[in-house]
Amino acid sequence: MHFVCCIKQVPDTAEVKIDPDTNTLVRAGVESIANPYDVVALEQALRLKEQYGGRVSVISMGPPQAEASLREALSLGADKVILLSDRLFAGADTLATSYTLSCAINKLSHEHPVDVVLCGKQAIDGDTAQTGPGVATRLGYTQFTYVVAVDWINTEEKQIQVRRKVEKGSEVIRGPLPALLTVELELAKPRRASLPAIVHALREPIGAWDGSAIGASPKELGLKGSPTWVRSISSPPAKIGGPTFDAGEDLAEAVAKTLDVLFSDKSFAIKLAKRWEA
Amino acid sequence: MAKNTKGIEVAEIISDKCIACQICIGECPVAAIQLTAEGVARIDPELCIGCGKCSESCPVDAVLFEKKKKRRLRKEERGIPPEAIPGYEGVAVFIEISENVGAQVSWELAGKARELAEALNSKVMGFLLGSGVEAIAQDAVAYGCDEVHVIDDPQLEHYLPVVYGKALADLSETLRPEVLLIGATHLGRDLAGVVATHLRTGLTADCTGLAIEQETRLLLMTRPTFGGNIMATIFCEHKRPQMSTVRPRVMRPPEKDEERKGVIRHHEWTPPMVELPILVELIRDSADAEGIDIARSPALVVAGRGACDPSTFHLLEELAHLVGGAIACSRPVVESGFMPYERQVGQTGKTVAPKLYIGVGVSGAIQHLVAIQGAEKIVAINSDPKAPIFKVADVGIVGNYLKVVPELIAQLKKRVG
Repeated sequence: MHFVCCIKQVPDTAEVKIDPDTNTLVRAGVESIANPYDVVALEQALRLKEQYGGRVSVISMGPPQAEASLREALSLGADKVILLSDRLFAGADTLATSYTLSCAINKLSHEHPVDVVLCGKQAIDGDTAQTGPGVATRLGYTQFTYVVAVDWINTEEKQIQVRRKVEKGSEVIRGPLPALLTVELELAKPRRASLPAIVHALREPIGAWDGSAIGASPKELGLKGSPTWVRSISSPPAKIGGPTFDAGEDLAEAVAKTLDVLFSDKSFAIKLAKRWEA
Repeated sequence: MAKNTKGIEVAEIISDKCIACQICIGECPVAAIQLTAEGVARIDPELCIGCGKCSESCPVDAVLFEKKKKRRLRKEERGIPPEAIPGYEGVAVFIEISENVGAQVSWELAGKARELAEALNSKVMGFLLGSGVEAIAQDAVAYGCDEVHVIDDPQLEHYLPVVYGKALADLSETLRPEVLLIGATHLGRDLAGVVATHLRTGLTADCTGLAIEQETRLLLMTRPTFGGNIMATIFCEHKRPQMSTVRPRVMRPPEKDEERKGVIRHHEWTPPMVELPILVELIRDSADAEGIDIARSPALVVAGRGACDPSTFHLLEELAHLVGGAIACSRPVVESGFMPYERQVGQTGKTVAPKLYIGVGVSGAIQHLVAIQGAEKIVAINSDPKAPIFKVADVGIVGNYLKVVPELIAQLKKRVG
């Protein structure tokens, strides 16, 4: 079996903010990490390899620094890692990204036919969840998003069964390989790399493919292949807070004043009194 | 303006403005720009030829370049005039089916589509896929669709991305809408990426704001990004339809008007010729067995990290019962295992828009706040006067919830019975 993981290196987004005074990004101390959802996808790929045999390849599209995530993947047990890096890839939206990744997966498939592609449900910087379905559609693979468990793979009949989240619960679904899975965080707890493995990974050469190596058409790459553009950025709309009352001084009065504020909106007070009917 | 050794006036990037979108890197004709390890673009002054393309393309004005004003103007002139992409007309909404009726988010989108269609002087179309869906088509008209285009086929009874993806892409290719809106539900987000890829068009995920720019007829799509810390406005100039998924409960649903008239048209369709997945089992969430959907509750008492104590749960329950609502929670409470994921409010949980939101011990991380924007009244109870939630609350009480909540219950009972 050939398992392929797609990993994105992302800024640790909990830290990225806009300075409200200057309207610029505050990026002091923002670290780059491997997208946590993708790390779970890699963990699942490694477990599937342990269970069914085969190999795990990992690809990451990004600037040369994305190599760090690939070394992490090597230290965790990936057999082969490839950095997809080219100036032509820059400025890609999800359509161009899914094109680039699918070209790379096609190339990997020529070496060893790919059975399962695993990616995170979404990346924590953009949160779009669009790249996985885009890659599956381009490759014609069976698409399973929001996967919370892989039940089994039948290597003879080329079938896979997974559990995935749906709006009001979950579903158990099976379909033909090759398949693309996008995974939820709860699917698996990622392992930690051993120190010797980390040291070993640091010495390994990292393979790199550019646009021509994956046989991509330059028109469909990066900015040129991206229909969506950013017009502007801003801080989330700020709502101005109302009064606050300190319960430490006089509890009953603080609560009474709070309710006064709430009930000063007569139509709201009526709705509450009627418990929201009409 | 700095000059390099060749005497060319070069462009320079203001690093604290750069958002690392890499657009300039792709635009630069001489490969003079690279992303540094700090995640900021940097221009090599010796390679720069001073063409100003980076400045022209930068969405956040992070490039210092003197010809900027002139270039900017040219870019605006270049903006496509109305009717520049001929043959595309109308605002389409994908009508999602949930529990055999039209999903609430679809009607919210129909309402928004009406606004956009008026700005474009155009029509609203509903795209409906399913099996035996005539009644839902009628509802789509009642919620404001001028035309409802239906593919009614037994193969569409259960959602599969490959089948629905082809059906919706086929309808879009036949009817050529300018705009296609899809609810950002589990199903909608799964489907939208498939359809946009088939159509090779732009797709913007999870929008919270949509507007038409009059001069260009472009759809401006605003969405939270970087974990909700930043709002980005996206546009799609050269491809149609302009596609967007929109979060539930962000747009106001229109009034249902049973008297409205509209056209319902059925379309012939060929299913995809591939081996399809088989649904083995559908499992309902246990929390849903209680019949509570926090996204639909008119009032919510939301437990945060500061009230994450099972022994005080009865207090919150009593308050929730008194205000005719349900109990929900923030992310740390789910992570502690105290409440199920289905009750989580937040960017990774549910977006809610109750009439009354009472946060108990909720500090108000941005990921939580973006998901409660639609609440009519926000009451915050927190022992920390600096908690960010007070900045968005209509009214707040600083104090220990163990004392505040019983007093609140007692006084509320007197006022509203």
